[in-house]
Amino acid sequence: MTLAIGDGANDVSMIQMADVGVGINGQEGGQAVMASDFSMGQFRFLVPLLLVHGHWNYQRMGYMILYNFYKNATFVLVLFWYVLYTSFTLTTAITEWSSLLYTVLYTSLPTIVVGILDKDLSKSTLLAYPKLYGSGQRNEKYNLNLFVLNMLEALWQSLVVFYIPYFAYRQSTIGMSSLGDLWALASVIVVNMQLAMDIIRWNWIIHVFVWGTIAATVICLFVIDSIWVLPGYGAIYHIMGQGLFWLLLLIIVVTAMVPHFAIKAFSEHFVPSDIQIGREIEKFEALNQCVYGPFIC
Amino acid sequence: MSVSGSESAASANKPKYSKFTQQELPACKPLLTPGIVIGAFSLIGIIFVPIGLASLSASQEIVELIDRYDEECVTASDKIGFIQDSKANKACTRKITVPKPMKGPIHVYYQLENFYQNHRRYVQSRSDQQLRDKDYKDPKAVAKACDPEATTGDGSLIVPCGLIAWSLFNDTYAFSVNKKSVTVNKKDIAWASDKNSKFGSNVFPVNFQKGGLIGGGNLNDKLPLSEQEDLIVWMRTAALPTFRKLYGRIETDIMASDEITVVIQNNYNTYSFGGTKAVVLSTASWIGGKNNFIGVAYVAVGGICLLLAMGFVVLYVVKPRALGDPAYLSWNKEAAEYSH
Repeated sequence: MTLAIGDGANDVSMIQMADVGVGINGQEGGQAVMASDFSMGQFRFLVPLLLVHGHWNYQRMGYMILYNFYKNATFVLVLFWYVLYTSFTLTTAITEWSSLLYTVLYTSLPTIVVGILDKDLSKSTLLAYPKLYGSGQRNEKYNLNLFVLNMLEALWQSLVVFYIPYFAYRQSTIGMSSLGDLWALASVIVVNMQLAMDIIRWNWIIHVFVWGTIAATVICLFVIDSIWVLPGYGAIYHIMGQGLFWLLLLIIVVTAMVPHFAIKAFSEHFVPSDIQIGREIEKFEALNQCVYGPFIC
Repeated sequence: MSVSGSESAASANKPKYSKFTQQELPACKPLLTPGIVIGAFSLIGIIFVPIGLASLSASQEIVELIDRYDEECVTASDKIGFIQDSKANKACTRKITVPKPMKGPIHVYYQLENFYQNHRRYVQSRSDQQLRDKDYKDPKAVAKACDPEATTGDGSLIVPCGLIAWSLFNDTYAFSVNKKSVTVNKKDIAWASDKNSKFGSNVFPVNFQKGGLIGGGNLNDKLPLSEQEDLIVWMRTAALPTFRKLYGRIETDIMASDEITVVIQNNYNTYSFGGTKAVVLSTASWIGGKNNFIGVAYVAVGGICLLLAMGFVVLYVVKPRALGDPAYLSWNKEAAEYSH
């Protein structure tokens, strides 16, 4: 991976050949800027470009790619397990509207907002410890191990979301639309909880979008089940009136999240990455600066 | 160019500062400290185990009697021939002894196994517009929706059309406790929303079961669809291949050691596809039917979380680490190793 930086017309061919070309807009004119991927006013801006914005971009892109594969895999696997119980015909218990809205509405906006706004370390920490940039060079946020772990988590969570209601409702009067509503709502909540656990910085925008999306999902389920033409008419009202529905929702969400939480707690404390140490330095710096000793200010 | 001139030109080009565009919105930065981890697992354990035990005890209190009758009610060797014979006597008497007292209302269900009401072709074979509106007679749309049970041999429309209605379950049960007959209340077994809005009160069955093959029960031509509660219950397709549907309710209590006699009209053909039929009597509770799974699951998850909490306590004590200590940064650790 090569980065080339230059400000003059003689730098244009170098900037074009490099993987990342940076042009300086200054005394030697604008040709370098027009040929470049990024342009800036002064050479010294290269430091924040790499250490701050480059690092943030790598962390966000890596997480978003992994998360997008994971959230779609979880949903599709839930639909897949149901096929085993429909005599292998491809009936979807989750209504077609909900399946469509899953990617478009139920899980898209938190993903976008977190991908834009979340950051793992603050600007000052990244500039103070330039070697933190090595996390990107070592592929710490996007590698095969992380991808496999993500897919295993998707597999586990889809099994939990599908089979806990299956065993609870196995010989009961449950209808397809009601059970489909439970599966849809449970999937959406689990997937958003997974995102919530991995968000590093919670500002008000992220709060609104994560919790608002879950609320929007519930509203959509109610609206879809209020259209008399669809087979699921009235299903959500009926099933939400049963205590078993809420018990199942609670245990599904908790059981799905326990492995992720345990792995996160273990790896962040016992095999911490530099980024993790950096986060702790940021958080406990104020405490460590207490005058009379730790925690005594 | 003077210094002040270039400064004012620079500040004229500077974009307006806002916390959003400079990514400096105030935010909380939660971090998993040992206290939070142990606290979370312990909290889950402490909440889940009692819920699990309460669910188990509620499930144990429910009295459920299941009696599978399809095998023993047909003694002829050609079961399919027997069941398809409209003149054979299909009455069958079964005796069930009640082990514990059952408080009313006692729900009576019929349970079918290996019956895929969730088969894709089956589930789609209905016309919701036709069920609600008697003036809905678009033959092409109905034929497309309800294929293959949309019209009779000579092309007249069947109401209600489709495979779901066509395969209506039609075994009947007559109960008597200790030789005294008990009425089964068959009102309000369907969802109110279905009765009021999905099935029309001015739509009557027309040409039902006249499509060539008979798939199930018949309907009373004089009753509108909104009052055909058995049909409404049947048409709410079940999610899984083993399912129950509400047949009715017995409003009185039944004592322990009472003997229930069920006279079954064994009309429905589950023999062609290896399905089974059973009659189920069950008391009701907040947890629904008798199912230990939810209680066991809660206790198991709560127990595992408590074990994880204890495991993490041990780990934090055995291998403590000061949070936020720069000595753990990888380049500082390498330097410490080199210096040894």
